[in-house]
Amino acid sequence: MVHGGSVRAPDEELAVHYAREFYGRRQESHRLWIVARDAITELDDPDLLNPPFDRSFKRPGGYLIKHKLEAAKARAGNPSEAGE
Amino acid sequence: MGGGKVEADDWMPDDYRAAVLKFVEMHANSELMGVLPEREWILRAPTLKRKLALTSKVQDEVGHAQLLYRVAEDLGKSREQMLQDLLAGKTKFHNVFHYPTASWGDVGIIAWLVDAAAIVSQQALRDSTYAPYARTMKKICWEESVHIMHGRDVVLTMMNGTDAQRALVQDALDRWWGPLMQMHGPPTDPARDRDLIWKIKGKGNEQLRQEFLSIYVPRILELGLTIPDPELRYDEKSGRWRYTEPDWNELRSVVTGHGPMSQQRLEFRRAARTATQWVRDAIIGPQVVAAA
Repeated sequence: MVHGGSVRAPDEELAVHYAREFYGRRQESHRLWIVARDAITELDDPDLLNPPFDRSFKRPGGYLIKHKLEAAKARAGNPSEAGE
Repeated sequence: MGGGKVEADDWMPDDYRAAVLKFVEMHANSELMGVLPEREWILRAPTLKRKLALTSKVQDEVGHAQLLYRVAEDLGKSREQMLQDLLAGKTKFHNVFHYPTASWGDVGIIAWLVDAAAIVSQQALRDSTYAPYARTMKKICWEESVHIMHGRDVVLTMMNGTDAQRALVQDALDRWWGPLMQMHGPPTDPARDRDLIWKIKGKGNEQLRQEFLSIYVPRILELGLTIPDPELRYDEKSGRWRYTEPDWNELRSVVTGHGPMSQQRLEFRRAARTATQWVRDAIIGPQVVAAA
């Protein structure tokens, strides 16, 4: 489920038509859920969403294993395969 | 369904609804129970960074349980009932969470290889016919890939360390290999596997185990670790891994609550649930659950 986009319409019925024309033209959607903007509850506090601390351990790229892997392989007697 | 997707509010056959519910509920239970072996190590993590990473992993897994119970409760069984059934031992969780952890080496092996074995099957679930489950699995798989990196980093660090550290990793691998080989379950007949026929899951048990072995056996061996199965080898002719038959009796016994840590882990959950009852009462009011 992804945010497809937004439309401007005077009522729900037309909003459905517009949504279908904009975001369901090429069989790219299984379903469209259309919600009035004032029904959306928003959170945009950067202190909560992007706190200024190092959180790299929460991402795959936060672990740099290349040199550790080379060292471990070399110790295991597979230096020729190191660095792949 | 013609290869289509089923949404929560679509009509679906009762058998399909029951099968998806059972599958997702077991997955949710496993995420919830799966953090217990790891939480035992948060206070014993060797560095602050490791402690943060392990705490984050535990938070992720509990979050997965929340997401999956959300998916399951839409199929008609209340969250209260699911938790009650889990705590009463009426529903199952994955075999690997019924075992004790002996050292920090276990933390590395669990995060690396248990999560790797899990992600092999979870990636196939991103194509599940039940759309809410498939969507949820995208987020879960991404987070699991972080856990695998965390675990591999722990293992690599120890394998570059002292002989004692290396021995801890080998000891953990020796103890976890059996449960890992049992984890995907015995081979099933694809023509009779209900979850495959409905395309709730995408791949059969033996296919998942073969994929796990293909990726991870080389990565284990290149570190100088020994896999405790003398029969394990890749058979070029058939293009398949051969291995000692996993102990399916142990698997059945463990997942029905007779594993070495099954009852302690469930008791811990019961105690936690009782201790936090006042919070749920205060926020959502006393919950009425059908008598067991």
